[in-house]
Amino acid sequence: MVVAVLSIAFIGFAAAVLLAFADKFLSVREDPRIGLITAALPGANCGGCGFPGCDGYARALVAGTAPNGACAAGGGECAKAVAEILGVAATATEKRVALVKCCGSRSEAIRIGDYNGICDCNVAAATAGGDKGCVYGCLGYGACANVCPKGAISISDGLAKVDKRLCIGCGKCVSACPRRIIALVPASASIHVLCSNPEKGPEVRKVCGVGCIGCRLCERNSGGKEAGHFEFAGFLAKVNYSNPPFDSQIVSKCPAKCISEDPHTGSGH
Amino acid sequence: MRTVKSSFKFKGGVHPAYHKELARGKAIERMPVPAELAISMSQHLGAPAKCIVKAGDYVRRGQLIGERNGFISVSVRASADGLVKAVEKRIGASGQYADSVIIDTTATAPEAAPSAEAFALKPIAWRSATREELLQRIEEAGISGMGGAGFPTVVKLSPPPNKRCEYLIVNGAECEPYLTADFRLMLERADRIRAGVEIMRKILGHPAVRIAVEANKPEAVVALEKAFADIEGNVEIVILPVLYPQGSEKHQIYATVGRIVPEPPQLPIDVGCVVENVGTVAAIADAVEKGECLVERITTVSGDVVNEPKNILAPVGVKYSDLVAFAGGTSAAPVKVISGGTMMGFAVSTLEIATTKTTSGILLLSEKSVFQFTSQPCINCGRCLRACPMRLNPAAISKAVEADDVATAERAHVMSCIECGACSFVCPAHRTITQFCRRAKSSIRARIAAEKARAAEASAKKESSK
Amino acid sequence: MSYYLILLVGAVLVNNFVLSRFLGCCPFLGVSKRMDTALGMSGAVVFVMVAASAVTWCIDNWILKPNGLEYIHTLAFILVIASLVQFIDIAMKRFLPPLHAALGIFLPLITTNCAVLGVAELNFKGETGFFESVFFALAAALGFGLALVIFSGIREKLEHANPPRSFRGIALALVTGGLLALAFMGFSGLDKGLERAL
Repeated sequence: MVVAVLSIAFIGFAAAVLLAFADKFLSVREDPRIGLITAALPGANCGGCGFPGCDGYARALVAGTAPNGACAAGGGECAKAVAEILGVAATATEKRVALVKCCGSRSEAIRIGDYNGICDCNVAAATAGGDKGCVYGCLGYGACANVCPKGAISISDGLAKVDKRLCIGCGKCVSACPRRIIALVPASASIHVLCSNPEKGPEVRKVCGVGCIGCRLCERNSGGKEAGHFEFAGFLAKVNYSNPPFDSQIVSKCPAKCISEDPHTGSGH
Repeated sequence: MRTVKSSFKFKGGVHPAYHKELARGKAIERMPVPAELAISMSQHLGAPAKCIVKAGDYVRRGQLIGERNGFISVSVRASADGLVKAVEKRIGASGQYADSVIIDTTATAPEAAPSAEAFALKPIAWRSATREELLQRIEEAGISGMGGAGFPTVVKLSPPPNKRCEYLIVNGAECEPYLTADFRLMLERADRIRAGVEIMRKILGHPAVRIAVEANKPEAVVALEKAFADIEGNVEIVILPVLYPQGSEKHQIYATVGRIVPEPPQLPIDVGCVVENVGTVAAIADAVEKGECLVERITTVSGDVVNEPKNILAPVGVKYSDLVAFAGGTSAAPVKVISGGTMMGFAVSTLEIATTKTTSGILLLSEKSVFQFTSQPCINCGRCLRACPMRLNPAAISKAVEADDVATAERAHVMSCIECGACSFVCPAHRTITQFCRRAKSSIRARIAAEKARAAEASAKKESSK
Repeated sequence: MSYYLILLVGAVLVNNFVLSRFLGCCPFLGVSKRMDTALGMSGAVVFVMVAASAVTWCIDNWILKPNGLEYIHTLAFILVIASLVQFIDIAMKRFLPPLHAALGIFLPLITTNCAVLGVAELNFKGETGFFESVFFALAAALGFGLALVIFSGIREKLEHANPPRSFRGIALALVTGGLLALAFMGFSGLDKGLERAL
């Protein structure tokens, strides 16, 4: 009994000495802040910051090669926590979410062909330019939904919709969309123009029942040009997101029915 | 000169229904210039040409309207006299938008407009001309490959100094169903092909010449034999077995000289071969001997709803609708319209698309000849493996791409895929395998381009910090 | 020589550690999603098993047996293997960083892996010689690696399949593992036959 206890104690002690020795003389030290920052980041590894995962971003932060606040998913709180660890002042980032600027559903927007290939927008867009009459419209084959790390994008009635509550603003969908109609907008803005077609009214009407015709009624109803809630590119109204409108009257008075109030707060899936 | 049967038969390949009888008996007809032309700046592989005219300019046939923009690029010339109505983005057959010059050919020429002679190129006596003169003429004439891919011909004809061209292969296989444009060209203008071959032979330093024709075009072989009867040097007409995709560059090289082109980025010149389509060869002859630019081409308008299937010589930039009208219109609304052949062509959704230097055919098909399908899961039957002429594993590639695993597809050599469509053709589950391959290829290409850009950016940063 | 050949065939195919002894199931299911991680894991297992069996043989024959302490061998083995793996981890990071980058994340995972302990236990029971013990550990680790690589290859293919929802993920992996074990049953008796033939 005593021999057994002593033997185990001896083996244990020898192992402990060995490990202590190894830890003291052999180990490679890492900056402890890397671990702390990795823990403070959301851990979604979405890559939205441009680094391979949260760990990569943490390393870049400690090395000083990345700006704090590049993590859209973590938002301001995360930036603050990181700033505390790094011992620098935080830069405020507003939460941004993705918005699909198209509301031409199957019943409203004309389809000019039967696409029967792979269910992917990039492939569909490369096949005879896509099956949708409007070349600025959402094709609805889910390239954005496929890359969304949070499953925040759903496809219904030939249209992609972003669930604002699930979206972390990583921006992957923005670059995945072949039509380039997804944008990151402030989560606080509630009124959006859901159209990306800059053509003249009659041209838009030919291909879509709910396309923006550039009538500028929205601008007039939101206090005119001076109020600066809207901008125009060609015959397309755009919300000025540095000064977004909040009057829901604008929505009901849009003759083209392409302005919507918080369209994507639906349940998603 | 002698005629031989090909002694190399590649593995794989398919036998689609050819339907060439619709237009093979129709002589080439020249189409009058339509009221409006839309000439794309992107008619070839590589960088689009730089447009040098603007709305309101009056242009003459043969006038330069798009400048060669970079090494892999081709110049573009106006196909007819007329007033430039606009320069705008128009959709092409492949679904890509490109700057197009819209020309109103009904406008009368203003008095200040220069005469047509000012733009005409002078014929060159090629026997006494230098290689550089000839190459410059081919560049001036805006010649790119007319088989389908539209590779700039000048680039192909100027191989790097460390590589020697041993074989010039003239591609007259035309293995795509329905198309008969090359067949008619060989039949009616074999003398042009001969002249082109002699010019190219001079440019390439007198390589051996192989003219490849599929066995289902015996009349073309007879015409070529007559035209080439007294040619000197090592020239052979090689009769290839009828098998799709016999017209593919790599398979043509194997069928004629038994050489295998290694994986990309290796090119045919790495095995000492240059392959040109018969249409390109004839265009080179016209450019050099007659001073004619590449502003018109032969296009087959065929399909079972076309009233009079025809081989039409039309100016480049004519709208599909005008071509179809010239072919007598349609007997019923087509269910599917394809630009090119049925195997590798592009389905288009409108006839308001203009032709380019590579438009070999327009096919309008009825419901009867279009197979409506729904894709189903792979049943692992392996037919695509047997059909693939590149000996790839299309089943594995398509399944990987379907599961968004492009890395596995890349390991399966998807970049070697020539997109011939044989796999989709034989698939009993009607999977769009070729489209999966295309998708993998485009995303791999995009990734490589992004990596290159990032590397360039990093090196630029390093430079500036120094 | 033929004895070692039979030992090799026996440990790799007939009594495969994962598929017939069911030891080391955790890494077998955990890191078999991709071929490259499976190869890394196999390398780490070979490394640790060989080192652990050498050390445990010494402990067994030099400390436990002379003192009549065979009954606490499990305790001693766990202690030794755990500290050994920790030590290898630290030392490798210092002296062989490329190898550590390849195997590093798998080392802590197999600290007290049952396959590693299993080899020590089997050597203890078999009362084998030192070289024999180490060779057996190597063969066992190779068997483990073979099973893992085959399994990860199948799972990579399964990733591209579209099974019913309830089968997705670990459910189908377990079914596949079971079928693989059944397939390996086909090797039973191979070692006996080999013995007779030699």
